[in-house]
Amino acid sequence: MHLTRRDFGKVLVAGISELAVLHAAREARAQAHPNANRSLINGVQFGLQPFCYHDLPMIRENRGELIRRLVRNGMGMVELHATWVEPRFNDPGVSAAAARDKLRAWRLAPSAGYYRGIRKELDDAGVSVFTYYVGFDESYTDGEIDATFEGAKILGARGCVGSFGQAVSRRLVPFPGRHGMFIGLHNHDNLSDPDAYASEASMVTGLSMSPDFKMMLDTRHFTAADGDCVGFLERHHDRMVGMHVGDRKKHNGRSAPFGEGDAPIIELLRIVRDNRWPIVALLEFEHGTLRPEVEEVDLMFDYCKRAVV
Amino acid sequence: MRRLLTLACLVTFAASVGAQTAATHRSYDEQFIGPVLSDPVLQHAKETFVLFGCAYCHGLNLVSRGEATDLMHSALVGRDENGNRIGPLLRAGIPQTAKLSPMPQFSDLSDQQIAALVTWIHYARQQGRYQELTAASVRRGDATEGKAYFDRACGSCHKADGDLARVGSRYDAAGLRAALLKPKTLERERSFTLERRNDKAFAAAQQRHHALLENYAADDVANLVAYLGNLKSETP
Repeated sequence: MHLTRRDFGKVLVAGISELAVLHAAREARAQAHPNANRSLINGVQFGLQPFCYHDLPMIRENRGELIRRLVRNGMGMVELHATWVEPRFNDPGVSAAAARDKLRAWRLAPSAGYYRGIRKELDDAGVSVFTYYVGFDESYTDGEIDATFEGAKILGARGCVGSFGQAVSRRLVPFPGRHGMFIGLHNHDNLSDPDAYASEASMVTGLSMSPDFKMMLDTRHFTAADGDCVGFLERHHDRMVGMHVGDRKKHNGRSAPFGEGDAPIIELLRIVRDNRWPIVALLEFEHGTLRPEVEEVDLMFDYCKRAVV
Repeated sequence: MRRLLTLACLVTFAASVGAQTAATHRSYDEQFIGPVLSDPVLQHAKETFVLFGCAYCHGLNLVSRGEATDLMHSALVGRDENGNRIGPLLRAGIPQTAKLSPMPQFSDLSDQQIAALVTWIHYARQQGRYQELTAASVRRGDATEGKAYFDRACGSCHKADGDLARVGSRYDAAGLRAALLKPKTLERERSFTLERRNDKAFAAAQQRHHALLENYAADDVANLVAYLGNLKSETP
């Protein structure tokens, strides 16, 4: 092949132009659509459980970095853990009980406009809070539960999600309805704990407690617990608000990159797409990677996008 | 003209290699995984620990997160020898537990991968325990307790009236403490030359001291230092 100087110049310019276009496209993707629909792909609303950013401690001081990463990953929706919002009082020398009392007092009387300020940070970045993840347990007073729902509502959340079991769920029955919100039940995979949400039967029991209880099905945990994710979606889609989308191997197997485990992610997403069900797909993974987590989220999100386009 | 094109090709090739190197570098999360270690065996072990998700629950340097077992102080890890306890546990997982999420099973991993995980757990534990023990406040130990520990844990290899006679004259307390925690003669990397690859005595001594480091309590170290410090003559 004979390459003239002019040909070589053209190749070089074309290569540089392509790089510039790719860079511009990536920047545009990050800036465009300043609303939740940034991650609405072919009718399926995606979002992120920021636990995926394993290197980023979930504390309110890191919230700015969290929002930057969400935008960088093209996410317009998030499940926000309360620790990204609330202060911590467990300073050295402060007992756990004293720290808990201080946190309760803070929750009952947050400073004026506190939650609105955070909502503005998220709105300005075009990120919507779908659910507020709260570790409700026996230590919460009624007033604290109400205050938490109030704060979540100001943040724009449609419901509160947590990893509590059936006993705590019973206690929570009266609360979501008062605030026009839902409680999202989140399953894990401990089949030996009768209080836990792990089997389909246990989740049906939880859902039967209140019409305000909805399912946030965790596909990783349900797969590890040998559950039938597709069957669950078919049978209970009208009680589901979202899925934590991730992959694991069956029989209490390990976490795996999307497509390398036993969770039927592609089939689940296509069922949601083709039936136009309003079930939000929140990416959440726990598999290891040597890449920066932002790159890993990109890869897993690409896997999901390819499933629904 | 040909020279110009050759030069341009070389520049492009160099730029391409540079870009690939930069891309590779970008894809290694140094902030989370830390810098690449000089020992490739350890680096591989660390990467294996990260890749199979162990680091997210147990912590890369064994500072556990959430409800995961604290491997830095786990008795089972302390008793493990070459994966004889950790290996079977990894393969089976812990399905019956009071915790929210049971420990997963890793039955699909190869023996080499299990060995790499075990290598990292012990290495990270040794680094962590060394830091804990050197940061602990130094107190005067009990020489009698120290002798009992020495007879139980060290006596099969060392003799107070043999290789360690007069060791109390050669080292002060700080020196004894440092030698106990990290004997310099055992710190060299394993050699793979045919003559030294199977140096079983060295490997056994190194493993024994690493195991001691993983299991010392601060009091054990103080007591040993008190006992060894008294060895100032040929006869203890």
